[in-house]
Amino acid sequence: MRTKSMLVGVSTLLMSSSLMFAGTVSGKVTFTGTPAKPKTIDMSKEPSCAKQHATPLTTESVVTGPNNGLENVVVYVSSGAPDDGQVPAQAVTYEQKGCQYLPHVLPMHVNQELKITNEDQTSHNIHPLAKVNHEWNKSQPPGTPAISEKYEKAEFISVKCNVHPWMHGVFAVMNTNHYDLSKGGGAFKLPNLPPGKYTITAWHEDYGTQTADITITSNETKDVNFTFKAKAY
Amino acid sequence: MARKAQRLSFVGVLIVAVASSLGAQEAHVGNLTGHADAGKKLYKRFCIGCHGERGDGVGDNAPFLEPKPRDFTAATFKCRSTLTGNLPTDEDLYKSVVRGFNTSAMPSWAPLTAQTKIDLVAYIKSFSPRWHDEKPADVLKIPTETPVTIESISHGGELFQKLECWKCHGQEGRGDGPSASTLTDSKDQPIRPYNFTGGGRFKCGAENEDLYRIFMTGVDGTPMPSFNDVIKPVDAWDLVHYLRTLQKTRKSRENEVLKAAGGKLLPPKPEEKKPEDPAKEPENKGAGNGRK
Amino acid sequence: MYVVAASKNNDSGRWMSVWSGLATGLLVLAAMVSLTSPSSAIPAFARKFGMPCSACHEAWPKLNNFGQVFKDNGYQMGNDRDSPISKDPSYWPVSFRITPHWHRENTDRVGTDQVPTGQSVTTHGFDLSGLDILTGGTLSKNISFLLTPSADNTATFHFESAWVRFDNLLKSSWLNVKVGKFELDNLLSEKRILTLSANGGSYRAYHFRPQGGLPGSIGADLPSPLATGIGDNQIGFEVMGHSKNSYTRYSVAVVSATDGNVSLPTNRGYDTFLTFSQAFEAGGLGLQRVGAFAYVGMYPTYGLTSGGNFLPGTGVGNKMYSQLGFFGMWYLKKLDVTTMYTRSKESAYLATATPATAALPIGAHDPSWNGFLVETHYTVNPQFILINRFDTIRMSQQPLDSLTKDFGNLNALTFGYRWYPFMNSRDGFAIHNEYSRVSSKGISPTGNDSISSSVFLGFDFIF
Repeated sequence: MRTKSMLVGVSTLLMSSSLMFAGTVSGKVTFTGTPAKPKTIDMSKEPSCAKQHATPLTTESVVTGPNNGLENVVVYVSSGAPDDGQVPAQAVTYEQKGCQYLPHVLPMHVNQELKITNEDQTSHNIHPLAKVNHEWNKSQPPGTPAISEKYEKAEFISVKCNVHPWMHGVFAVMNTNHYDLSKGGGAFKLPNLPPGKYTITAWHEDYGTQTADITITSNETKDVNFTFKAKAY
Repeated sequence: MARKAQRLSFVGVLIVAVASSLGAQEAHVGNLTGHADAGKKLYKRFCIGCHGERGDGVGDNAPFLEPKPRDFTAATFKCRSTLTGNLPTDEDLYKSVVRGFNTSAMPSWAPLTAQTKIDLVAYIKSFSPRWHDEKPADVLKIPTETPVTIESISHGGELFQKLECWKCHGQEGRGDGPSASTLTDSKDQPIRPYNFTGGGRFKCGAENEDLYRIFMTGVDGTPMPSFNDVIKPVDAWDLVHYLRTLQKTRKSRENEVLKAAGGKLLPPKPEEKKPEDPAKEPENKGAGNGRK
Repeated sequence: MYVVAASKNNDSGRWMSVWSGLATGLLVLAAMVSLTSPSSAIPAFARKFGMPCSACHEAWPKLNNFGQVFKDNGYQMGNDRDSPISKDPSYWPVSFRITPHWHRENTDRVGTDQVPTGQSVTTHGFDLSGLDILTGGTLSKNISFLLTPSADNTATFHFESAWVRFDNLLKSSWLNVKVGKFELDNLLSEKRILTLSANGGSYRAYHFRPQGGLPGSIGADLPSPLATGIGDNQIGFEVMGHSKNSYTRYSVAVVSATDGNVSLPTNRGYDTFLTFSQAFEAGGLGLQRVGAFAYVGMYPTYGLTSGGNFLPGTGVGNKMYSQLGFFGMWYLKKLDVTTMYTRSKESAYLATATPATAALPIGAHDPSWNGFLVETHYTVNPQFILINRFDTIRMSQQPLDSLTKDFGNLNALTFGYRWYPFMNSRDGFAIHNEYSRVSSKGISPTGNDSISSSVFLGFDFIF
């Protein structure tokens, strides 16, 4: 117990020392071309969910924002970052609500606790189709406690509910804490990068990956932008 | 860059080293010990046509088979006594080889000698490094079966509704639930839920205990999830007893008890009834249609 | 399919012509056996179930225990894929087997018109086997069939097998009934034999008959002397059963004593065949099996005639012949050894072709003989197998006192290999090479041993 807390103390020290020279990478993810139109989801087979959505939901595999911003893109440091090995103590939560995964893409650190909750009046089965990690499949009826899991290896895992075939999401399990998920206008920000050479990767579930190499030398903010080519279908 | 390549090749050497040490994979069931080296030759003789030389399930005949042969490199197995997401035990694999999968092209290999089968199991374990890296997982503990009573069957029926088994398996267990037609396995191949009314044996065994194990540990790689976290052991036996009554044409203690009770389930206990639960509604309908 | 050893019944030169006739007859018999030997290596099954030949065959056509269980279950795997309606409608359960080959046969001391005392006769050349068309499978769950229209090498067809089998009666693997023309339940099967040459393509014990007491057609112009072979397909019915893994097996068959020939050419007799075997595991060595069989038959010694011609099917004066056998199949990993001992006996009336109403020749006895067989296989891998067989017959009682004790004793040595250049689940292809040598004691015209040899090199293929 004591050694553990000591270790934590030391690493916190190390982290704060590196923070003194921290750089930031920020930018925007956009797309060119015309993306496929989101499809309307028919939830009539699950009335308890359908009634929660005044306007029917649409598919979320491609979500765009203003100025051709592309959302739900995971931007992360794929190499170069001295992985601090710090597994965040707080859990990430994946919510099933209205027969929808919230958020659609959930980034997390390897071995970080993942809590999955079911807010619906229907049973879901959570079936992450892991290839590198273990593939499991659990039932979660209404009112049952949160499922607690973690993934031991970095992998982008497609998640589905077999009972409700429209439900689809992603677990983005990474070996780094330097990640962000692009929001509204496609903006992202990776702060606290010590000086060094980095490869920044942007991953989109339909459009694939893009990378950029950058070097951080001091307390600077580097602009990196990614542009994906939209697929029409 | 050059250094990176160097490192990569080093990793490559490591992988080769690991892979060759995997060749020494063993399997143990009872006092049998299987050896992957011996199993490799047997695999070529018996298994290669469907599962392929690399164990990836793309043998010469795979294109013509439905469901597709198991991909051993993925190390995801349907019939396990271990909890979902874990590797099966050697015994689980051995039993699968003995039993075969009656709804697929995989026959029972019971006619092979015990040593042949255990050698094959050992070789199958050499296709994925998971067998090398992971410690054996805990095996699901199955308590002694509770008596088959109409109360037990009725409570099982309530669970069938509450857990929404019918979403895939249908109210009468015909495998025709509202989600049935949309189901795919982990390789995106269409898959059908088990039809209880056919009365055929389950994928992973014929006994009540097998049925208990199937829904508690789940059928990994398929849409069938694990219920171990959500069903208490006592309740699980109730569900087993109810599921047996869906196999109407099959002789069973459960069907006898149900018949003796006039073919009707007991009404749900009032304290458990949640009128706001929409899933409750179809229960009486389904039960009424199911048994005259 | 009768062997007619033509000879005259006069005293002078009687034996000599008998000997030459016998030698020729033996050759003809051996040739016929090898050329019409169909097997049940059926790629239609491999296609149906998606397995390589090696799944069911130690080396096709020889079965392994998995194949044995498949066969015992009535060509069913026991999963949902057995029924014909579970298959693509374009699936046809048909296979063809033929064996183009080159062969050389030599027999020393054959009595010819040119050299009545015997000379060496050699033939060789490219040749064809017969063609087997094998169609088999299930008509419905637990109703199986096999139909084998089989041609000799001039394309004259006959039905080598034609049966229907009701499987797993009373929901038990212990009760299966087969009716039609079928192979007796021989675990040493001549239909699955790994040797094909004229001399090596049969098990001697299944066909041997005592020499010297057999003057040809017997009483009342019965078409031929007794010519049954346990290895041949017979017409009748069979009740068989087996444990789920076929470690324990039994079979009882009652067949017409016609050696599988249609239209009841000889008599109204019925033969009975019984067999039982038990297998046990010996750790990593493999599956060991021991078993026994008995064949008891009656054969007529004369028949009704009309205008001097035999009325088919009216043979009477039945006399008994019998064979008892014990066999073992021993596996030592890649090496396996099959051993068989047979004890055979027949009535002196049959052996001397004497009608039951007549007196036996002086010095006639019921002949009896012993057979020993050791066959060794070395399965290098499922695609290459080495074969060796030593097959021998020893007379213990001659049919006539005038014959020397060892007269007709026989030694047959066969060795060869089969190489399957590829192994898949669509067809079978083997390169087959074999040498076989048979020597028979004292049966040449000069009273010397008769020796004949075969060399066989061919392509055995089945689709």
